[in-house]
Amino acid sequence: MPSELELQISPIVQESLVHNSRTLQNLQSLTASLFGVSAGILGLESYDGFLFYLAFSLLTSALFYLVRVAPSSLTAGPRYFRGPFEFWAGGLMNGLAGFILTWTLFYGLVRA
Amino acid sequence: MTWISKSITTLGGLLLAHACYSAREHSALQSLRAASAASLTSLPSVTTSLPLDIIIETIVATFIILLGLVLGTRPLRPIEWRVWAGKIEREGEEGFIDGAGEVNKDYMGNPFSALESRPNFVDIRKQRREFAEWVKKGG
Repeated sequence: MPSELELQISPIVQESLVHNSRTLQNLQSLTASLFGVSAGILGLESYDGFLFYLAFSLLTSALFYLVRVAPSSLTAGPRYFRGPFEFWAGGLMNGLAGFILTWTLFYGLVRA
Repeated sequence: MTWISKSITTLGGLLLAHACYSAREHSALQSLRAASAASLTSLPSVTTSLPLDIIIETIVATFIILLGLVLGTRPLRPIEWRVWAGKIEREGEEGFIDGAGEVNKDYMGNPFSALESRPNFVDIRKQRREFAEWVKKGG
């Protein structure tokens, strides 16, 4: 967490921060329902489904990192997020409700 | 850029729909076979899990849609003030164009433009020269 002094020295643009996290959040809630669809088609049950969600959410973050963050930010370029935890784990709980919704729906549709 | 992501997403959606239909047919066939086996013999019916090709198709389709959606996200903006303002100074509106080729709605313009247009910074001699030429031309 940056201290107040650091924030005074290098201030942060709130609009850009909101824009970035909203972009990531939109992607995560959209893909979570997609993962629910495929988990329902595969017929996963109990822990398997949640592990599936966890693995594919991390894959989503990794792909997003590869496409949007890494090309400009690796060589001491601009920063886009406050910290690594916010980027990798911040959106896991976001899409869980949508995931469970479509998971149960498609499980019921395929195996009714 | 957007048409690439849209076509990839559509392709993945078709694959996923096909996988979903195949899984549905498979489970319907299973239940039909179980019912007929129970009526013919007293053997316990074996329910097989999903065939491997449907599993692979589902996972590949999910990955393709995921790729399309990630490619379709909007570009990020630097959060540090100095990097962000420098980008605006260098690129202007071109740095804030989204996928559809339009300038973002929340683009606020250069934060330093108020400094540049102060009256002290007006080049009054240049304006006088331009006015003189305009008069000479008989405007």
